[in-house]
Amino acid sequence: MPYPERLNQYVETEKQRHFPKDFMIGWENYETWEDASVGQSGPAQRVFKITAEDIVSYNRACGETDPLMVDADYAAKHSPTGELLQHPIFVTAIAFYSLGEQGIGTWIRTPGARNPHQHIEIFEPFRYGEDITTTVTTHDKFTQRGKPYIYMKLDFHNGQGVLKARWLCSLILPPSRADVARFANA
Amino acid sequence: MQAPTFSSIQTGHEFEPMTQSYAQAAIDRYALGSLDMNPVHTNIEWAARAQVFGLPETVGHGMMTMSTMTSVVTRAWGAVNRNGGRVRYVDSKFTKPVKVGELVTATAKVKRKHHHGSGKNWVLIAVEARDSQGDLVGLSDVGYQLPD
Repeated sequence: MPYPERLNQYVETEKQRHFPKDFMIGWENYETWEDASVGQSGPAQRVFKITAEDIVSYNRACGETDPLMVDADYAAKHSPTGELLQHPIFVTAIAFYSLGEQGIGTWIRTPGARNPHQHIEIFEPFRYGEDITTTVTTHDKFTQRGKPYIYMKLDFHNGQGVLKARWLCSLILPPSRADVARFANA
Repeated sequence: MQAPTFSSIQTGHEFEPMTQSYAQAAIDRYALGSLDMNPVHTNIEWAARAQVFGLPETVGHGMMTMSTMTSVVTRAWGAVNRNGGRVRYVDSKFTKPVKVGELVTATAKVKRKHHHGSGKNWVLIAVEARDSQGDLVGLSDVGYQLPD
């Protein structure tokens, strides 16, 4: 079941052009709830270089029209940062791009997952040209009312080691690879 | 766009409500913007078969709802403001999936003032999001730092 081609009309950034967009390819390699080990930590697969087009694309996807958020030239003259203002939930794009398809936290791509709760802290705005590295730590996993919850902590640092944002990301997952397979093969 | 000062803002202050479309085209755009390409949001045929939420259709991203619940604040006060205001954190819970084609309306009001000292004071803003049936789809706390 291929990635729907109609989505190509909305591709507008370099990252979107090259990002592996079909989450059904390689699901066998995603970390599962059963695989995950609390305390395990490591770097995400990719580094995210901040560009104006990434910010504009996320902001537009949220329905924003304020020129401070969607017009880089206007923002350069009028924004309090001298750059486009990012929607506070922009870290979502950094996380999905960076986590990739293998390793800790790839359960974020799992077909059949459900989203119960998210917590995002922003310490300072991302700046154009920054190379953002994401550190992933499996924070918690538990069952509640028979449902398997998992939490990871994502720390986003720039090249100088400054912590820019933190996301405590959770999902309710199909617990085993066999359970994921039932959704992947639906 | 100007955030108020901490001393001038009162608990109970209400923000202008905002309504966001969750038409498939809007969900598709969000999928590309966020790079969350989970098929439950974008693959209409698969979503009908898999019925992840017991629904034979796609649903909006939880992160899209979180973004809507944040925008109701930032459209009034800015994500970052020239006078020093800024969003510190957003904490969101999702209570019902947003079905494709829905309209989601977010409302927000200042719930608490946190007196942490000059340059560190912030307010907690309670946000609710409801679908076109009036059902609650999400709840958020937005922490917003304000100038003195």
